Amino acid sequence: MFQMIQKSFWEQVRKFNSLAGISIIITIVVALAATIDRGGYLLVNTIVTGGMLALVSMGLALTLGVLNIPMFAHGEFFMIGTLVGYYVFNAISAYVGSHPESSLVFWGPMLTIVAAMIIGAVAGVITELLIFRQLRKRSRENWVMNAFLLTVGLSVVLVNGHQLFFGADFKGIVGYYSGPSLAIMDVYISRDRVFALIVAAVVVALFWFFMTYTRTGRAIRAVSQDETGALIVGIGLNGILMLTMSLSCALAAIAGAGLLFMYPSYPSIGLEPLYMAWFVVILAGLGNVLGAVMCSFMVALLKVLTIEYIGSGWDFVVPSILIILILIFKPSGIFGSEVRGVLDK
Amino acid sequence: MLLEVKKLNAGYGYLQILRDVSLNVDTGEYVCLVGPNGAGKSTTLKTIAGLLSPTSGEILFDGEPIGGLPGNKVTRKGISLVSEDMNLFVNMSVEENLAMGAYIIRDKKAKKKQLEFVYDLFPRLAERSGQLAGTMSGGERKMLAIGRGLMANPQLLLVDEPSFGLAPQLTENVFQSLDVLVKKGLTIMLVEQNVTKTLEVTDRGYVLENGSIELSGKSSDLADNPHVRKVFLGV
Amino acid sequence: MNNSTQTLNPFDKLLDLTCFTPLGLLSLLVLAILPMVPPFNQEYLIRWLISAAFIASMAIAFDFTAGLINIVNFGYCAIMGLGAYTSAILVERLGLSPWLGMLAGGLAAAGMGLMIGMITLRLRGIFAACLAWFFGLALMGLATKLVWLTRGPMGMRVDRLFDTPSNVPFYYLLLAMMVIIYITCKWVTRTHMGVAFMAIGQNMEAARTSGIDPVFYRVSNFVLSCAIGGVLGGFYAHYYGILTPDIMHTSKTVEVLAVAYIGGRGSLWGGAAIAFPFIFAMELIRSSLSDLPGINLVLYGLLLIMVMIYYPGGFAQFFNTYFRQTGNKMASYLFNGVAADTK
Repeated sequence: MFQMIQKSFWEQVRKFNSLAGISIIITIVVALAATIDRGGYLLVNTIVTGGMLALVSMGLALTLGVLNIPMFAHGEFFMIGTLVGYYVFNAISAYVGSHPESSLVFWGPMLTIVAAMIIGAVAGVITELLIFRQLRKRSRENWVMNAFLLTVGLSVVLVNGHQLFFGADFKGIVGYYSGPSLAIMDVYISRDRVFALIVAAVVVALFWFFMTYTRTGRAIRAVSQDETGALIVGIGLNGILMLTMSLSCALAAIAGAGLLFMYPSYPSIGLEPLYMAWFVVILAGLGNVLGAVMCSFMVALLKVLTIEYIGSGWDFVVPSILIILILIFKPSGIFGSEVRGVLDK
Repeated sequence: MLLEVKKLNAGYGYLQILRDVSLNVDTGEYVCLVGPNGAGKSTTLKTIAGLLSPTSGEILFDGEPIGGLPGNKVTRKGISLVSEDMNLFVNMSVEENLAMGAYIIRDKKAKKKQLEFVYDLFPRLAERSGQLAGTMSGGERKMLAIGRGLMANPQLLLVDEPSFGLAPQLTENVFQSLDVLVKKGLTIMLVEQNVTKTLEVTDRGYVLENGSIELSGKSSDLADNPHVRKVFLGV
Repeated sequence: MNNSTQTLNPFDKLLDLTCFTPLGLLSLLVLAILPMVPPFNQEYLIRWLISAAFIASMAIAFDFTAGLINIVNFGYCAIMGLGAYTSAILVERLGLSPWLGMLAGGLAAAGMGLMIGMITLRLRGIFAACLAWFFGLALMGLATKLVWLTRGPMGMRVDRLFDTPSNVPFYYLLLAMMVIIYITCKWVTRTHMGVAFMAIGQNMEAARTSGIDPVFYRVSNFVLSCAIGGVLGGFYAHYYGILTPDIMHTSKTVEVLAVAYIGGRGSLWGGAAIAFPFIFAMELIRSSLSDLPGINLVLYGLLLIMVMIYYPGGFAQFFNTYFRQTGNKMASYLFNGVAADTK
């Protein structure tokens, strides 16, 4: 089994053109150089941010590739994740406070993540049913643009709905796990970061396995590659579209809950993960899910290095300009696009 | 009767293409639908396969009405379409494409049997099982499309323009494999531009012109029909 | 419809030249008189009128790109902000007159538009929108971080255009600007250029094969729209008197976008017509339900969703189907004027 996965992974990598390979190598070299220069925490930050960013951007790539929706409200599902994480974890901490030896000390954070995932998935299903399916029933002409505007409206509703019902203040937690940082070599990593890293790695692996080896995952890929072909072989479109939407929203919500210890919940928290994920998706080529994972680490590195060497706040500017430059020379992204349909109007 | 189409009207939006098309296909038959460009042959197949919904008329499959069902449900009833532009999953390997073709079959053994059957029919696909569908040649893709259609173990195979864009030698191959399938008892409805060849191999045929059936009958009779000879063969 | 110019009386000729229908002119007159009519002559209501007119002007220029060539300029407010900052910096640091500053703001924004246009012109629809968005983010980041130039988030003080506490002169200036912007945009759509824009917006490949150079037309459209945004930005700076990078935020662009699309894409006048009642409704809800912060924006997002699902043509399409098709001759004249393709 493991060998099979490994073999298929390398096949996927070989499929990419040389530009992808070069950029991966450059990323690794730069990351190592920066680590030697400034210390290991850079590498840890990059990997934690990159892993969580990968969850958000995989979802974004999926909605683009399968539903053909350029999602502008994806960050709002991240926000929903932070919100669920905040309330669930606070309830758990209150319980743990009175029962200190309960096993929830260990399992609580994981329970939080699972809760965020479930709520995110439900939110995705509701969105698909109430909004996108209605539009799909009515007209499919100029679909990309109309769907995009719908997501803009959705984003406005969710951001201000948060403010309306939960207030605009910062809702953060101290941390998921207390206790001293773990030391690996001479780098100290807080337990929460390790936790976030493990969550990201597990979810990405599960997701990749699901997309490659299960019948349903393959059906999702089939729909993204040829909708008519999928219908012909007997795949029910409505079900797959709904599943994809809920999957991608759940991924964003997991990322939100997983990063709650770094980013407290507030109404417009979703904007930053949103544009970072768009950087990734455009860089990877619209709709390319595996490429999105790798590009997530590149963008995360770019962000971490910008903050480290130039100063915080510049992480708006430098990555944007770099990505614009890349797009000028390679409009289809580094990894090439799996889905051409997205580009057509 | 396996398939019965009664007074079918269909089209795209306000554009009506089919006008009162009626035809039927019996189990085990090899039926063709010929006609000039734009007559509505592909539209007929797409409507039967559920990719277009009819504006009026009935489609009965095994006595059950299937008109207006979405494409995936029609496939589950036992009709496979091999469309003109093939609609392959270009970023999946040959084997994955075939596996997707058997999407509606849950039984692993049955799946495996179908796969062996298809590889037997097209040894070429077995050789290329790991290759991405998007990187194959036109003839191989055609084989893959037919193979994928067969994977669902259909009762009726609808084949749209199998010779389109192929070299004569490859066309011959495709026709031969369809022949083999018919001999094995599969019911096939074929749409073709290559009228001479089609009428040579099929049992029975319909001639579609301007969205309605003009003529029907035994293929050999149709081949001798003066109207057909005049319109299609220019004799 | 408008087959012989000789039969038109001078009034209709004027209307035709300025692309107004009688109803359009009437509503403009109402807007012009409004600041003198009792409930509206209070300063806070005039401020509302100004922000409505500002959004209306932005929506016209935004729709010029979004509705005609079908590209959402998602960094539009950042470009407007660029114009604002250019003007403010020139006036404050170099002592330029604010009028010239506004012009310079327009020029800077046009230059930016040229650059974005040149870069995005090879990309399609949503790609171009994203790239414009990234430009906007970068501009906003620059405005925040170049503290020595813009004073960053602390805000930059700018001299007001008119040295009076009253808002009325600003309102009339903005109204005049709105009319000029509308007429300019409408004029352009009447020339062969406008036809080319529509062709590109509907089907770029078809337009290309019929000999229209999409690159040239897209860029010129982009530049004009951005230049208008820049001038409006200059007005913004010299009206509010304080400038923060917040005006370049994505949410501001979303506001303009919503007004333009609810008004009706491609109509130009739809956004302007809807902006006034819309902004008033928003402000009313905000001030009367102040214990429910954000409710006005929730409603407005819901409105955008509803319009996009059930009425994608927006208010303009609604108006065209239900009012312009009237049999009454008088009403038809009122709604359509002599040439039916104008406001």
